[in-house]
Amino acid sequence: MMRTVQITRALMTAGLLETVRRKDLYVVLILTVLLTLGASAFRVFGVQGLEIFVKDVAFTAIGVMTTILTVLIAARQIPEEMQRRTIYPLMARPITRGQLLLGKWATAFFTASLCFVVLASITLGLLLSLGITVKPIFIQYLLLKIFGIGWLCAMVIALSFYLTPAANVTLSLILAFGSGVFNRLLLMAHWEHGLDVLWLNLLYGVLPHYDYFDMSKKVVFDWDLAPWWVLGVLAGYALLSGMGWLLVGWLRFRKQTIG
Amino acid sequence: MRAIVVRNLVVAYRRWFKPPFRAVDGLSFEVHQGEIVGFLGVNGAGKTSTIKTLMGFQSPTAGEARIFGMDATDARARQLVGFLPETALYSPYLTPYETLRLYGELHGLRGRPLRAQIEALLEAVKLTHKAHTLNKNLSKGMLQRVGIAQALLGDPKLLILDEVSSGLDPIGKRELRDLLATQRERGTTIFFSSHELAEVASICDRILIIHHGKLIAEHRLSDLVGRVDSLEDYFIRTVQAGHDILNEEVQAA
Ligand SMILES: Nc1ncnc2c1ncn2[C@@H]1O[C@H](COP(=O)(O)OP(=O)(O)O)[C@@H](O)[C@H]1O
Ligand SMILES: [Mg+2]
Repeated sequence: MMRTVQITRALMTAGLLETVRRKDLYVVLILTVLLTLGASAFRVFGVQGLEIFVKDVAFTAIGVMTTILTVLIAARQIPEEMQRRTIYPLMARPITRGQLLLGKWATAFFTASLCFVVLASITLGLLLSLGITVKPIFIQYLLLKIFGIGWLCAMVIALSFYLTPAANVTLSLILAFGSGVFNRLLLMAHWEHGLDVLWLNLLYGVLPHYDYFDMSKKVVFDWDLAPWWVLGVLAGYALLSGMGWLLVGWLRFRKQTIG
Repeated sequence: MRAIVVRNLVVAYRRWFKPPFRAVDGLSFEVHQGEIVGFLGVNGAGKTSTIKTLMGFQSPTAGEARIFGMDATDARARQLVGFLPETALYSPYLTPYETLRLYGELHGLRGRPLRAQIEALLEAVKLTHKAHTLNKNLSKGMLQRVGIAQALLGDPKLLILDEVSSGLDPIGKRELRDLLATQRERGTTIFFSSHELAEVASICDRILIIHHGKLIAEHRLSDLVGRVDSLEDYFIRTVQAGHDILNEEVQAA
């Protein structure tokens, strides 16, 4: 246990250093700020009821950028080690494949969450400086999004053992961005066929529900705080489903030839 | 206890529409503690496949590979092993110091002892002046030295090296040889594959020659003295014949 913690910390430190030293991160940051600034520029022309519009653009931008960043960061964790063969000196250490998997998930989760928090803070600062405020539900939005990032990292890392990096990124982005649409289609199908249809329930269980972790619209429209038990339930769902994904990845990686 | 035991090892790679390809085909050998053993064979003979199995990077298709009595797929077996891969590349976005810190921490080292060890190793491979330069700005030879330092982290009892001297300049090769000599004096067991037969001859106790995944010759280097012109000559003739030419001579006599 202590070993696993030490291994995870070592991998996270190195992973974070690498991400910070790459330039791709900064592009996303600048892009989000530009989008928010662009949206707020309308204010200069005196359009009414603009606050909601600017907020909507800002939170949509954060959401999209965070999802893309999360998928890209998680998808490269293990395949990149394989490609550049750094996996050899890594796995030459007395660590198990499960420990590497867990450490890489933690690295992706931590790095992506950090990116998200930085993005959200900068955007919030920008909104505040424009005189636009958010309600306390913003805190719940942050928390829930972080659960979602952890869950998404687990799925992407698991898929990286089965798909090429390009296929993984594509499929993961479709699943992440499409999850809202899938959920609505499923609900409609349930409506039509009844709630006890087995294949529909199976599909519902298997398909990812990433959109559950997005409260951005509620922030935009200044909702009151959601009941905390709802967040608890979603945290539980993220944990169970995320562990399920990691298990799926481990089952493949356990016996895979390295390199 | 033996440092390495390989018994009837088979490593097969799956192929489309063909039976699996046996890169290692019923290999058996042992390496005793404190021995220095050269693992020779032409390209494609199965050296890297054997070494990857010893490191637990792949599971044997059949047979067994043991390190200090432990199954090679067991992570604990690697606690006593230092490994230098054939193509050693290290994260371009880390410095040599950070690279060594990462591997040291993964090995279970930490704090002041780890820092002291990293500094001593960087000194030993003459990289102290580049300790805080990103790996992507280092030359190939310098990266190879990061690799050597990494392999020596944690005071391994067994060093496994795959084609170490490739990519090293003549000075680097000399330094590597000195380092290996130091390790030998400390009683470290060394198992390595190499194409540099002169180098092999200068430091090995024993050689193994594999061909098409099978062991075809095994000799103490001292046994070869006087019976062959040079290790290179012996190696080439044995590999070309596909069997040990010395045994043939014994049988003929
Ligand atoms: N991952 C792999 N998949 C299929 N064939 C492989 C793989 N790795 C090695 N081989 C084949 O196995 C044989 C032995 O390779 P290798 O162990 O790398 O030999 P050596 O290190 O002695 O040059 C070669 O013919 C090589 O093409
Ligand atoms: Mg090789």
